[in-house]
Amino acid sequence: MIDTTASQTSPDSAAPSSARALRVAVVGLGRAGVAHCVMLANLEGCELIAVADPRRAARAGLRGMGFMAPAFPRIERLLEKARPDAVFVCAAQGERARVARAALEAGVPVLVERPMSRTLAEAEELVRLAAGRAVPLAVGHPLIFDPVFARVREVVRAGTLGPVRQARSAMFVSRVFAPHPRRGPGRLDPRHVAGGVVAHLASDLLFLLVHLLGAPAEVRATWNLLYGAVEDELHGMMTLADGTEVGFDSSWSVPGYARASTVLELEGRDGKLLASDEAFELDLRRAAGGYPEGATRRRDTEFDSPARFDFGGEALWLHDAAFLRWVAGGPAPPNEGSAAVKAHRAMDALYRSAAAGGRAVELA
Amino acid sequence: MRQPAFAAPRLLLSARALDGATRATRERLLEIQERFREPESLAVTLVKAVDAGAEGVLASPSPVLRAALAELGRAIPLCAVLPALRAQDYRMLEPGVEALLARARQGAGAAARFSMAWRGLVSRAAFRSGDFAARVPVLLEAEARLLPRRGVMGVVIAAPLTDAALAGRHRAFFDSVARFVRARFHAPAGFETRNPGMLLKRLREWGARPDFVVGPLNPRGLGMKPSAAETLAELGRSEVPLVATELRASGLCDLDEGARYAREHGAYGLAPDLSEMDEVVVELRRLGAVPTREP
Repeated sequence: MIDTTASQTSPDSAAPSSARALRVAVVGLGRAGVAHCVMLANLEGCELIAVADPRRAARAGLRGMGFMAPAFPRIERLLEKARPDAVFVCAAQGERARVARAALEAGVPVLVERPMSRTLAEAEELVRLAAGRAVPLAVGHPLIFDPVFARVREVVRAGTLGPVRQARSAMFVSRVFAPHPRRGPGRLDPRHVAGGVVAHLASDLLFLLVHLLGAPAEVRATWNLLYGAVEDELHGMMTLADGTEVGFDSSWSVPGYARASTVLELEGRDGKLLASDEAFELDLRRAAGGYPEGATRRRDTEFDSPARFDFGGEALWLHDAAFLRWVAGGPAPPNEGSAAVKAHRAMDALYRSAAAGGRAVELA
Repeated sequence: MRQPAFAAPRLLLSARALDGATRATRERLLEIQERFREPESLAVTLVKAVDAGAEGVLASPSPVLRAALAELGRAIPLCAVLPALRAQDYRMLEPGVEALLARARQGAGAAARFSMAWRGLVSRAAFRSGDFAARVPVLLEAEARLLPRRGVMGVVIAAPLTDAALAGRHRAFFDSVARFVRARFHAPAGFETRNPGMLLKRLREWGARPDFVVGPLNPRGLGMKPSAAETLAELGRSEVPLVATELRASGLCDLDEGARYAREHGAYGLAPDLSEMDEVVVELRRLGAVPTREP
C-alpha cells in the first residue's frame, strides 16, 4: 500500500495537485457532510460545486451558512447536472451503499463515510465495483491521519517495537445517555444502521488496528444494549493469525468524555507504545527507529499541525486532502476501500460474536 | 487603527474550560470542572479575578456560571459566549442554526418565546429558515434570557457558528450579527474562532468590522490557523482587535511568555483560561502589567 500520511507534513504536500480545481460534491448534509463541506471550502485545489440531501431543511441549512453550491434532493440529479470529479457520501447509513454505487457506476471517485454500508455484503460489493471500474473508493477514517496516530503508524511500520505481542485499545465518548437522541428518521434503528457505538464511532479505531496489525483470524465480543436495540458498549478480543491478542473496548455511554477519546497500547518484543489523542509515549529496550533507549514522550500539541482549517481537529482536513490527492492522480490513501473493508469484516464478526453471547467467530 | 465602535476588552478571565471548549487535556478539564462544580468556589474566583485586574469573564452563561453570578451581591462583567452550549452539545444536534433555535425554544419561557417570535417577524427572519445572518439574531434573542440583568460587557459568537460561517464565506452573517449585538445588548460584538488568521483575513477583505475576535495566539503557533506565519502577518494588517486565547499553547510554554508574545505580536487583549492558571489572582496581576499595544 502506498503511504500518504507520512508525506503530509506540510500544507503544500497535503493539498491536492491537479491542473485545474477538482469539482467536488457532498451527498448527505448531516454533521459529517457539513464538516466535509467546511473542509472542502478550505482546501486549495478543489471546489465544492454541488450538494445533495433529500431534506429541504438540510439544504437550506447549508445555504444559510453561506455555501452557495447548487443543492439537489437526489444524487442521480446531482451527477447528471453537476458532473463532479469526486463525491463525498455522507448519507444515512442505510442509504450509503445505494448512493456510493450510483456515483461509482457513473465513474466518479467516492469517499464514503464509515461504515460504508449497513451490511458487509454491500460493502464488499462496493469495493468490487470500484476495483472493476478502476474508480477510487475511500472510506471515512480520519483517526489514522491524526498526527499522533500517524506517528504510531510510522513506528509500527518501521518495526521499532519489534514484533507486536499484545495490543489493547479503547475509544470512548459521552454521547448517549437516554433514548432521546435515538429519535429521528431511522436513527439507530437496526433496520437502517449497521450498529451502535462501533459502527458510528469505534470503527475508526478498528480500522487503525487492522491497518497496523492485520486482520484478525478470530474474534470474541460481548455488548451492552443500555438504551435501545443497538449496542452502547462493546468489549472485544481479536486474535491475529500469529496468535497476537488485540483488546478492543468502546462505549458512547461513559461520563467524562466530552470529546471522543482513543487510547492504544502496543507491547512488542523491543518495547511498549502508548498513544492517545493527547500524547505519544514510547519505551524502548534499545535505541531503534531514531528513538533512544528508554522513554520518549511527546504531547499531541508538539506534533506538526499542517491542517489549514480547524473544525474539530487536525485529522479531517488531512483526511480529505489525502483523498483528493488520490483523485488528482496521487497515491492511494491508507483508507482506500479495499483496506477499509477488512475493518468492516472485523466489525461484522464482532457483532456476530456479541449477538451469539461471546462465541468465537472465525474470519475467512 | 480606527477606534472601534465599542472598545474591545484588554484582559479577561476565560472560563471556557467549564464549557469544555478549551484545548487542554481531558484530565485538566475534568479537574477544573470538578474544582468549580460548586457555584461558591467559582463566585469567589470571579470576584478575585476582577479585583486582580480582569475587566470581566469570558464564558457561556452555563448553569454553573449563572449560579455563581447569582451568589454574588455585585455584578461581574460578563463577556458572554453564545449560544450557551457545551462542546459535546453541538455533536448531539443537527448542524446549522435551526437545531439550535429548536433547542433554545424548548428551554425558553413564554416571554422569551414571544421575543423570539417578535424578532423573527420584525426582521423577517421567520421567513429565512436556516440563514445564519437572519436567524442567529433570533437565537441570541432567546439566549438573552440566560444573561444577567447587569454587567454584560460583550457578546461573543461561539466558534462552531463563527467557523461554519467563515468557511461558507458568509459576510452578511458577520455584519448583521455584529449590528444586532450592539443594538440589542449595547455591548461590543465579538467572534470566537479556531482559525484566527483566516477570520481576520476575510474580515479585512470584506471590510467587515466586528468589535473584536477571540482566538488562539501563542509562541508555539498552536491553533493559529491557517498557519502561525499567516496569522501573525494578518494581525499586522487587521483593524479588528484580537483577544488572544490559548496563551500557554496547551502547556507548552508558561503564561508570562505566552502573554508577552501575544502582546508583542499585536494582540489587543488577553484571555487566559482557568485551565491555564493555578494562581488566578497572582497570574492575572502579572498579566495586567504586560505592556499593551496601543490602537
